[in-house]
Amino acid sequence: MSNDFILDIRNVTKRFPGVVALDDVSIKIKRGEIHGICGENGAGKSTLMMILKGVHPWGSYEGQIFYDDHELKLEDRSIRQASEEGIAIVYQELTLVPNMTVGENVFLGREPRTKTGINWNKLYSDTQKILDKYHLDIDANALVKNLGVGKMQMTEIAKALSENAKILILDEPTSALSEEEIVHLMEILKTLKSHGVTCIYITHKLSELFRITDTVTVLRDGRVITTQPIDKLTEDALISHMVGRKIKERFPKGNRKPGKEILRVEDLRAVDPDDNSREVIKGASFNLREGEILGIAGLMGSGRTELVSTLFGEYGRITSGKIYLDDQEVKIDSANHSMRLGISLVPEDRKKYGLVLIQDIQKNISLANLDKFSKWFKIDFNAEIKKTSEFAEKLEIKAPNLFVACQTLSGGNQQKVVIAKWLMSEPRVLIMDDPTRGIDVGAKYEIYKLMNDLAENGIAIIMISSELEEVIGMSDRIMVMSAGKSRGILEPKDFDQEKIMAMATGY
Amino acid sequence: MSETITYLKQQVRKNIQTYAIILAMIVIWILFSFLTEGRYIGAQNISNLFRQMVITSFLAIGMVLVMVTGNIDLSVGKLAGFVSVVVAQFQANIWFHYIPNRELLTTVFSVLIGIAVGTIFEVLQGYLISYLHIPAFIVTLGGQWALNGGIMIITEGKTIPANQPLFSVIAQGYLSPNIGWVFAGVVILFMVFSTLQGRRNKIKYGFKPLPMLIEVLRLIALAALIVIYVAIVNNYNGVQIPVMLLAITAVIMSYVSTNTPVGRYAYAIGGNREAARLSGVNISKNVFNIFVLMGLMSGISGVVLASYVGYGTIAAGQGYELDAIASTVLGGTSTLGGIGTIFGAIIGSLIIASLTSGLQMMNVPAAWQYVLKGIVLVVAVYADVYLKKNR
Ligand SMILES: Nc1ncnc2c1ncn2[C@@H]1O[C@H](COP(=O)(O)OP(=O)(O)OP(=O)(O)O)[C@@H](O)[C@H]1O
Ligand SMILES: [Mg+2]
Repeated sequence: MSNDFILDIRNVTKRFPGVVALDDVSIKIKRGEIHGICGENGAGKSTLMMILKGVHPWGSYEGQIFYDDHELKLEDRSIRQASEEGIAIVYQELTLVPNMTVGENVFLGREPRTKTGINWNKLYSDTQKILDKYHLDIDANALVKNLGVGKMQMTEIAKALSENAKILILDEPTSALSEEEIVHLMEILKTLKSHGVTCIYITHKLSELFRITDTVTVLRDGRVITTQPIDKLTEDALISHMVGRKIKERFPKGNRKPGKEILRVEDLRAVDPDDNSREVIKGASFNLREGEILGIAGLMGSGRTELVSTLFGEYGRITSGKIYLDDQEVKIDSANHSMRLGISLVPEDRKKYGLVLIQDIQKNISLANLDKFSKWFKIDFNAEIKKTSEFAEKLEIKAPNLFVACQTLSGGNQQKVVIAKWLMSEPRVLIMDDPTRGIDVGAKYEIYKLMNDLAENGIAIIMISSELEEVIGMSDRIMVMSAGKSRGILEPKDFDQEKIMAMATGY
Repeated sequence: MSETITYLKQQVRKNIQTYAIILAMIVIWILFSFLTEGRYIGAQNISNLFRQMVITSFLAIGMVLVMVTGNIDLSVGKLAGFVSVVVAQFQANIWFHYIPNRELLTTVFSVLIGIAVGTIFEVLQGYLISYLHIPAFIVTLGGQWALNGGIMIITEGKTIPANQPLFSVIAQGYLSPNIGWVFAGVVILFMVFSTLQGRRNKIKYGFKPLPMLIEVLRLIALAALIVIYVAIVNNYNGVQIPVMLLAITAVIMSYVSTNTPVGRYAYAIGGNREAARLSGVNISKNVFNIFVLMGLMSGISGVVLASYVGYGTIAAGQGYELDAIASTVLGGTSTLGGIGTIFGAIIGSLIIASLTSGLQMMNVPAAWQYVLKGIVLVVAVYADVYLKKNR
């Protein structure tokens, strides 16, 4: 081996209109290590990875990248060249085709051929081999759209693994995974490492960095702040490198005083609207008080998302059970209806349900709030700008201005736009489905503060979260779900990770 | 001063597409002017050219909004045609029986009936599309066939005259030169007033308004365009009434598209239907509204058509929907929804009219006119795609 470093990034600068995404970045990555990268939203992490994959081709950035002793010049936007070089990536956002099978997705663009067409048998047996090799419980013939988000993410990972790459890049792979799946992924990465595969691992969950990585690089505003072996770092040190200041507590203390009951759900059952024989909610009961934050914990697929979107009138067909708002029974049949009653939902999937990607930040934030700025059928642009920029500032949305299209924002900043939209809508009941997914530590704190403010003003909040720490840190009570049922509601004295996990997994 | 320049640069980059298409139009005009030894930009030709674009422009205005919501309307050509024969029928054969010799009244009635017919038809189609969820492509294709039948039934294959003097004024009338100047003056005053009002509002909210220099330059440029236009057409017959109607409609609809929730929702629905729905936008109602606006535009277009040609015939409106779609796409409207402006569509429509007029003036055979127009359409849209990718 001629060189200890498989990848040597030298003085890379990448500019977009109005932003310097990467500013003179130099990082060396050792052969066979797991190299963590972290930093605030918009720090430039994904941009750097896209350069390594050729999405931003050679010539569109300044600086040099040496790979295995030769300079890497990816000129081909089809990214095939990067694959041939042995660089595989799992993008931050899912890139699967929903109407294709797992097998078709894994081999998309490089299907095994027969003389006349595609060798389907080989395609499916190869896919199944990969899935089995890494103990992924997924059927190669399954349609991707029928998989849960967690399995989709694992399919995405299988797709990257199938390339037998020398470098595997993972951009926030765990934001949609359950704890179990995360453990599984860690095992896979360890196996790969023992086979000499180098791995670049991006995450906002600092604990993961300590669990798996050897070295960590912190980026801030497109610059490298530090690269250090992980055992020289602490969580606090990482945070202050990332945000440039110290954060004393992860969860702000609120002064919430839950009041009278506003929403009550009694033994709700609902079926999949596309398949009436499949019951997705098998009995959920809870109540919600004004000014309270109710956390919902549970594994992926436990029916949390299904429950809240059914409440919102957008998903399940209710077969039995009742919903009461202010002690009056309500039958909600659409998002529009729900919002008129004062119930809003922050959806889980920002790209699909949260944002109009081609529109700018301001229009996205105000979309659910236009009546606040409109008089006599006319939108008051000045009032709109004033109010949206207020929220954009509070949430620290990083962008040149409010008039850039949301598709140019980093993943975390897109999420902040979605949150801003719903925080501004000031409903009576705000349902948030995994609101802080992909958001950095500092901004999370700001979001928690805003949630506290709302609750203190009497707004009732339901928060789904996959991070137990977050549910425990923010909730007044926690409802645990598993297999479509509510398993019980915990009071603060019973807030305990193990207890919750036991309820979430036990039947 | 440097602030002004950065602002201008920003604007150019942001609206590069709009500027590109305006540039394309200017190139076409210069080219034809050379080829026809200046006849092309003569007062008479300019006057006619703008008049010729009016009928499809009304359709294109509505089509922009329909396409922005991610839909399409293939029926509008025949709808305008149908409106024109209905109106002609009233003008020629019906009023005469019930209210003879009341020209003003009959003209007003004809206009109202035409607009009502267009609107009602789109109310029906809009209902099928937005509330019963039948794809717009299919509903409006069916609508086109049905309207074609309707036109045959009403005309019985004959030509119905609609050339009564007052009715003809709608599409063939001109403002006298002095009134034309008054009109121009009113428009310019209105622009100055609304600019000042805008600045005052900004200051009220504590925002810094644009540098005065930019606003003044913009006003001067727009005013100059208006003055030049009026000066040219006054050299022929005066400001064309249909062009004036079109300008007023375009300004109103443009305002609707950018400054009202109805317009904003249309763009959001086309950009991401699911996200719009979850934001509480009532998709069905809003898409329906847009089709009703399309009906209004088709009605106006049909009335102007009847007045323009002076009769209703079996071929009325044939293929106009495709001209309208081509205009919107040339003007930057995305066939996928979510993007498009009314201003762009008007320019697109003007480009098509300019090409047609130029080619006719050069006596290019009809067959070759089609071939050339087809090539221009595809090349122009490719240029747009290319510009966007390499910005
Ligand atoms: N195509 C683009 N056009 C314009 N700006 C872009 C584009 N892609 C990224 N940017 C900008 O570059 C900066 C870095 O973005 P990047 O996606 O690399 O951030 P990130 O570190 O991955 O953040 P996150 O943690 O939120 O995923 C951001 O300010 C973003 O707005
Ligand atoms: Mg990213």
